[in-house]
Amino acid sequence: MSPKAKAELASDHLEVARDDLDGERMGDALNALFYASEAAVVALAEEHHIDTKKNHRLKASAAKELFEKGILDKDFSTLLRELNQGRKDHWYEGEEPDIDLEEAYAEVEILVDAAQGEDE
Amino acid sequence: MKLDPDTLDGWSTQLDWGEQLLWSARMESDRVRAIENQSRPQLEITELLQTRAHEIGALAFALTGSTARAQRTKISDLDYHVIGPRPPHSDLPDDVDVYATDEVGMWRKLNQGDDFIQWTLRYGCVLFDTGVFQAAMQRMSNAGLWPTSDQKFSRLDGHIRLARRLIAMGDRDAAQDQVRATLTSLARALLLQARVFPRARFELPLQLHEIGAGELGSTLLETICEEPELNALGRALDLAASLVPEKPADSPLRSAG
Repeated sequence: MSPKAKAELASDHLEVARDDLDGERMGDALNALFYASEAAVVALAEEHHIDTKKNHRLKASAAKELFEKGILDKDFSTLLRELNQGRKDHWYEGEEPDIDLEEAYAEVEILVDAAQGEDE
Repeated sequence: MKLDPDTLDGWSTQLDWGEQLLWSARMESDRVRAIENQSRPQLEITELLQTRAHEIGALAFALTGSTARAQRTKISDLDYHVIGPRPPHSDLPDDVDVYATDEVGMWRKLNQGDDFIQWTLRYGCVLFDTGVFQAAMQRMSNAGLWPTSDQKFSRLDGHIRLARRLIAMGDRDAAQDQVRATLTSLARALLLQARVFPRARFELPLQLHEIGAGELGSTLLETICEEPELNALGRALDLAASLVPEKPADSPLRSAG
């Protein structure tokens, strides 16, 4: 899938996350935020020849590398790891994740904007 | 005492795990198996995490998941089960996944029929233990505990809905991830209901064939080893939906023996 498609997907996931948050579907929002952040990182990583091998952990590592290379202004790797762990805890363990989803949304929005900016 | 787990079924629940000599022999065997099943970099990560867990007061530490069974695939994490605080691991590379719970949480999960703690006790490599894993193994064996499949079945509707949403959005990678997780969860639930203890994910297709759920097994294998198109992922979900009982049968916590 091309970087452009991934950037668009990131934006689509973010839009779904907004709807979920407004509708107070927190588990759904968590999932949508996770996939928005991953799609945005993959879009940027592919553009800069960083391999993510379709692996969640490597996508988090790619987010760190994108920061270290100055492509992103902030290291989003912790955000990706927390969203990944949070969705697993919610959907498979039935536990409530300790994540402020509005704060996470604001962070993911920056990431998605960066991916879209790179795409233009 | 030289002791080895059964290659397929892991550590027996028919033994008296309260015997200290037996538990020590198991831990020695687990340590050897952990060394055999890991690459040098993985071993270094495990040793580092084990040291950190010990330093922050963890009660027990085990290598668990596919690595413990030498069944890693390209999508496998390096999984650990810690009783106590989660050792810091954000500086470690790749695919380290640390599940941590306090002792109260571990007992609650064991007594409520959670399968993950039982999985670690049966198949995991216990690398240090202050007695909590030993006591849990003894309790599981003596009481004949068996995980419940009800929670897994009851969560499947939500998993299927999320996966369908990803397919509708056209995100193939995300959809495959969600479909694979859904099929894995369904596979574990069906196996537990059939009184077969699920092994590592890559072993589930064969176990499913053995209980007459071969189509699900083959479909799961595709999502592990291949990159199915969106329409194939949609069909996989149709199959999954057809296999979810309308109202899951109660799954008693005690095994038949």
